[in-house]
Amino acid sequence: MSQLDIVGKSFPQIAAQEKATGKTKFVTDLVLPRMLYGRVLRSPYAHAKILSIDTARAAAMPGVKAVVTFQDTPKIKFGPRSEDWTIFAADKTRFYGDEVAAVAAVDADTAEEALELIRVEYEELPYVISPLDAMKSGAPLIHEDKPGNIAADFKIEAGDVDRALDDSYVVYEDHFYTNQVYQAYMEPMSTLADVDLSGRVTIWTGTQIPNMMRMTYAKALGMAPDNLRIVVPEYGGAFGAKMENNIHLVAAVLAQKSGRPVKLVNTRHEDFIAGNPRVPMHFDIKIGATQNGILTGKDVKVVGAAGARLVYSQVIVATACYRVDSLYRFKNVRARGYTVYTNTVPTACFRGFGNSQSTFVLESALDELATRLKMDPAELRIKNGMGSNETSVHGWKIGSSGLRECVTKASDAANWIQKKKDKTPFKGIGLSCCNHVSGNRPFAREFDGGSGIVRIGKDGRITVFHGESDMGQGQNTTFAQIVAERLGVTMDMVNVAQVDTDISPFGLGSFATRGTLMGGNGVLAAAKDAYEQMADIAADMLNVKPSDVQCRKGMFFHTDSPDTKISFQKVASEATIRHHGAPIVGTGFYQPPTELPDPETKKGNISPAYPFGCQIAEVEVDPDTGQVSVTNFVAAHDVGRAINPMATEGQIQGGIAQGLGWTLMENMAYENGKIINADFVDYIVPSSFDIPDITTILVEPIEPNGPYGAKGIGEPALNPTMAAITNAIYDATGVRIRELPVNPQKLLAKIQKTGKHTKR
Amino acid sequence: MNRLPIHLVVNKEDYHLFVKPNRVLLDVLREDLELTGTKEGCGLGKCGACTVLLNGRPVHACLTLALQVDGCEITTIEGIGGEKMHPLQEAFVDKGAIQCGFCTPGMINTAKALLDENANPSEEEIKQAIAGNLCRCTGYNKIVDAIHSCGCQSKKKKGGIK
Repeated sequence: MSQLDIVGKSFPQIAAQEKATGKTKFVTDLVLPRMLYGRVLRSPYAHAKILSIDTARAAAMPGVKAVVTFQDTPKIKFGPRSEDWTIFAADKTRFYGDEVAAVAAVDADTAEEALELIRVEYEELPYVISPLDAMKSGAPLIHEDKPGNIAADFKIEAGDVDRALDDSYVVYEDHFYTNQVYQAYMEPMSTLADVDLSGRVTIWTGTQIPNMMRMTYAKALGMAPDNLRIVVPEYGGAFGAKMENNIHLVAAVLAQKSGRPVKLVNTRHEDFIAGNPRVPMHFDIKIGATQNGILTGKDVKVVGAAGARLVYSQVIVATACYRVDSLYRFKNVRARGYTVYTNTVPTACFRGFGNSQSTFVLESALDELATRLKMDPAELRIKNGMGSNETSVHGWKIGSSGLRECVTKASDAANWIQKKKDKTPFKGIGLSCCNHVSGNRPFAREFDGGSGIVRIGKDGRITVFHGESDMGQGQNTTFAQIVAERLGVTMDMVNVAQVDTDISPFGLGSFATRGTLMGGNGVLAAAKDAYEQMADIAADMLNVKPSDVQCRKGMFFHTDSPDTKISFQKVASEATIRHHGAPIVGTGFYQPPTELPDPETKKGNISPAYPFGCQIAEVEVDPDTGQVSVTNFVAAHDVGRAINPMATEGQIQGGIAQGLGWTLMENMAYENGKIINADFVDYIVPSSFDIPDITTILVEPIEPNGPYGAKGIGEPALNPTMAAITNAIYDATGVRIRELPVNPQKLLAKIQKTGKHTKR
Repeated sequence: MNRLPIHLVVNKEDYHLFVKPNRVLLDVLREDLELTGTKEGCGLGKCGACTVLLNGRPVHACLTLALQVDGCEITTIEGIGGEKMHPLQEAFVDKGAIQCGFCTPGMINTAKALLDENANPSEEEIKQAIAGNLCRCTGYNKIVDAIHSCGCQSKKKKGGIK
């Protein structure tokens, strides 16, 4: 590859100055003339029959412009994947926080007061919170057409698992639980909706999936997708959560009824109780290895809680069943995954998407195997790790794999071998690996690639249009770098347009760590198209052949005589004049070499590239309280190539912070069917004091399918964190953590049992 | 509810307003003065996104009644820099301390109050100062770096440490 001017260099986010000065308009900052303020009335019960709703007094209150319930909606069943949603509860509520009614009023105080005037008569029904209980016979039925509350049942099997386990030298078998945690993005879910005279609806919201959401919502609103426009302003984080959620539709219905723009912003409490938190999962795992430490077989059962309706939990449980199988050279694997309705907030995507849950389980189990084999846990991983150009048990074609390099580099940086020998009581070191995808073929629908539009105006200003979503991770900057590199211009010449489904390509969005690879390849293809159009005109202006020109730093020049040159701006101006005002518009798309998994065997190749990583945590456990502090962290990640090393490091550090919070601090606690810690007073996320120095190591094997060699990093940044910490706790105390989050009291009790504390 | 008169000096400009007694400073800033750089993240004083400077000290605008600050001087993110960005703003940009940016205004205000009091804080002091400002994107490492770099710079300017 020729020398790179822009890609591989650390640039601040293109929006960073606006963000630093407070100029950025986030969704919650948007205001339209005559805008109303919406509020949602939510179910106070986990499960209750709605006997009656009286909205008359609220509707009569001065300043109230609309009050809506299920009766004001098109009453169509819909959903992102499974059509078990309605806009507002119809005849019963299924979770504490379920949408029952909503008001729009001239100001927030009036809307709030009006909510109190809505009278709803409920009849409480028995509820069920745990998915294990929900599966039992006699459990309350949450959706009448889903017996046993089973929303989905996933099976996968390859090889001969029973025989492999029977023949194993060591077998480890245990139960694990990963809890429900909240994404805690700093900007709560929020939306602004407006309706024009023709009935066309516009929704401004922070969403990771503007186009897929539009298709789902068009159905819900009973309108053609063309009549729904979604615009994505800057928004304050998502981490998986900001996909379909009823509040967007509630705002649209309020706007329809009032004929005025309506803004709806979740309070933080509402965001906790009615957002889309992580799918809690119960795991039974049985895994074996030979005496030499070669993994033989793995058998897993997963039970995940969907909550009261399906967002994406069934796909997440399926992912938990088998994605980790491609981390190592497994030959015999089996998994069964049940997705079970519960009377809890609907669960969905959170960084890691099931793979984080099962990585915690697998990497804990590998440590147990290493102990039984008296083998260095790092060596066990290196021995079994998937290498470049290998094919996994499920047919995944691993292009590049930097896994082994991640393990060795992280080990060296953490001084692993020395520290592992050091047996200071209550201090420990732990290691965990991960794999992931850069796009997920079965999660996408008709296609899974990416696309872009590159527009070059008369003054040479470049605007990139894409249909993915920058939720704060810096995707727009990555795209600008890719386009600037391909065009041969400087970063200050490139803008990235706000995603607007009326204008932008039909991008699938930001999930499955797909943005950099899929979106990046999409805008790269568009840039190539635009470049070729520009090069033709530049060559003509320079009187040379198009193949003899190139562009660097905003200047077209003859390859063999660089003094024959002309600026990018002059070429753009000439192009617009020659085309009677038409700008140069490059379009392009990327078709990934993926294969949809076979419905029966699930064999396929779900992603064009697979990132890997290894993280090492050091902990200290307080022998008096059981409190764990993470004192050092090293993370080596195979990112293909870091388009922007600073942003990539930021992803890794942020992912680890979230993983640390999950492991040691965070848990959505239920009592009497309600989440009892639904605010930042009682639900504590990591602050500056909780996060140690994080050393990041970028391993760059240059992925053949990636734009300039890049893979994704968003989710793998978090996947190994939990087990790295709990493996370090094991090293420090001899206690195996099998349930997240770590509970200091339980840990202390177990430490006292093991007697390891006597070493003090 | 009767509205009462108040006088605020926000970013060195005078404002004479009539506000309801229950109105918080955050809503006055965001809605009445359209200074939307100050963010609401929780409404309970636990996330720090609404941090503004009240007579130079950081406060949660979401917990501060507008009437309580009658006659006070308030600085929001819009008033931190002049024609150029404040060195802290530059450092946050250059060091990658900003991802989604929703916590950034509050974080920078808190950092400014720290640096105004202690020109060269240690990493521990920085972590202590920003412990009430949540950031869910960055893992704080780059934020601490950014603030720390400003401390060093201010020393450099004074001809202190190399």
